[in-house]
Amino acid sequence: MLSIRVKRSLPGFALEAAVECPYPVTAIFGPSGAGKTTLLDLVAGLLTPDDGEIRLNERVLFSSETGLNLPPEQRRVGYVFQEDLLFPHLTVMENLRYGYDLLSTDSRRFEVGPVVDLMGLSGLLDRRPARLSGGERQRVALGRAILASPELLLMDEPLASLDQELKDRIIPYLRHIRSDLGIPILYVSHSVAEILELTGQVIVLKAGRVLAHGDFFHVVRHPEVLPLAEAHEFENVLPVEVVAQDGARKGCRVRFGNQDLRVPPCDRPVGSRIFIGIRANDIILSRKQPEGLSIRNAMRGRILDMQDVDGKQLVYVDVGKRLAVEVTLEALEELGLEVGDPVMCLVKAHSIRIGPNAD
Amino acid sequence: MLTSEEWMVLGLSLRVGLVCVLLSLPAAVILGWVLARREFRGKVLLDGLCHLPLVLPPVVTGYVLLLLFSRRGVLGGFLEQTMGFQVAFTWKGAALASAAVAFPLALRAIRLAIEAVDPRLEHAARTLGAGRLRVFLTVTLRLAAPGLLAGALLAFARSLGEFGATITFVSNIAGETRTLPLAIFTYINRPGGDAAVARLAILSVILSFAALVAGEVVARRMRRT
Repeated sequence: MLSIRVKRSLPGFALEAAVECPYPVTAIFGPSGAGKTTLLDLVAGLLTPDDGEIRLNERVLFSSETGLNLPPEQRRVGYVFQEDLLFPHLTVMENLRYGYDLLSTDSRRFEVGPVVDLMGLSGLLDRRPARLSGGERQRVALGRAILASPELLLMDEPLASLDQELKDRIIPYLRHIRSDLGIPILYVSHSVAEILELTGQVIVLKAGRVLAHGDFFHVVRHPEVLPLAEAHEFENVLPVEVVAQDGARKGCRVRFGNQDLRVPPCDRPVGSRIFIGIRANDIILSRKQPEGLSIRNAMRGRILDMQDVDGKQLVYVDVGKRLAVEVTLEALEELGLEVGDPVMCLVKAHSIRIGPNAD
Repeated sequence: MLTSEEWMVLGLSLRVGLVCVLLSLPAAVILGWVLARREFRGKVLLDGLCHLPLVLPPVVTGYVLLLLFSRRGVLGGFLEQTMGFQVAFTWKGAALASAAVAFPLALRAIRLAIEAVDPRLEHAARTLGAGRLRVFLTVTLRLAAPGLLAGALLAFARSLGEFGATITFVSNIAGETRTLPLAIFTYINRPGGDAAVARLAILSVILSFAALVAGEVVARRMRRT
């Protein structure tokens, strides 16, 4: 377990946080400049707190009281950065072994072979980072951090520089780290969608302070957190009940209010209450009930509000719950939408994400 | 092709150049890192002091060396008493004079190269368990290697052309401190020395050019790997 109680002031900014992270994955969520990276740097030892204490399991990493401040190389805290920061002069194999080779044999928790397999790197070992794709580079960075046998992994928006397709391909690897390797992770992201793929536990930071801390679906009700969540990848979170399991090919059906939605296959039993996530830009607005479309899910609603958030046009539709829908300015003008208009919200089954249990 | 005297001058110039690189490079690496990566009080002062030989008349640099390293100078006396090592009026002194003048050039190249290394790569290495010295050797210095080479080359080339500090500090002694520029100077002042001057000047051009080409070839090879 990681416990953090730190204060640190930087020019024009001050961070003060006291949190405990007993979960396998804890996400740190917040807008840019909230202090997410600063918090990770403090845990890694790349920055020194002005005051406080950082403990990892039973080890004290930093204590202003006793004056103890372990250097980064003695903390056994792995760090995966937003840019992969691979050593450009070393091959993939040499990158992977950089931390591994510095460990004594009995302090190595993972071996090179299995990690190479897990991260799908076996064909790339002799290459230099310059000859890798973005997704490959980030997988090497993950493997390199794992092979240093950390007791905690810090990840600072490791997927932020990748496109959606690559993100979807890397996330299973992150789940492997969490589930198969048992390394606890502190995961910084400003994408709610990404966080929900990995965990329900979040720390919400804003302007250097912990705004909220705990289960995402409780935290998100906080009046200051909700707009943040909506403004970052505009993830809508709906509480639903699983009503039918139609097998691996057809997926399952869930009920939201009085409408049924088809969602990807999930392993929750019929009758369980879960959360699903739908990204605002995965929803299509239509004035009429569509015909001849392959889309399975159509939710009927009424427009509550329309806003321009950071240059993105958001239409809020009441479908039994407030749903944020992102549309282009052109579409908005062409459809001539007004507040109060009835609309259909169309969602492909496969763009719906299965979240954690609601109970 | 070359006379025995010309061979001697050439050999001496190369020897002085190499020792100049060996003397100036380690100091330039350490101070280059300090100036690139550390923040401290008096940094501007240290920076200025390091660059002084670049703007100072070489004669003044030579004079300061003379004050310090002559047999009665503070450092010169110490070296002679403890190690029986004489610098003034020897080829070692010529190398030292070259090193003093070439040092700011090497420092500049190396400092820029170290500054160009992303400090976050060093952070990444430390979170992987490498201590400061290991990070410096395996990441910083390795990535700054082309700059190191450029610095060495600049120092060597500067040494080949060194005149003022050398002649002030170690005089112009045939076979001991008479490097190429000093030999050219000698023949220019000697009646009928025109042909010898021309030959030595051509030699000087070839040598400098070869150093530049060699440096470029190595730099390209380093960039490729």
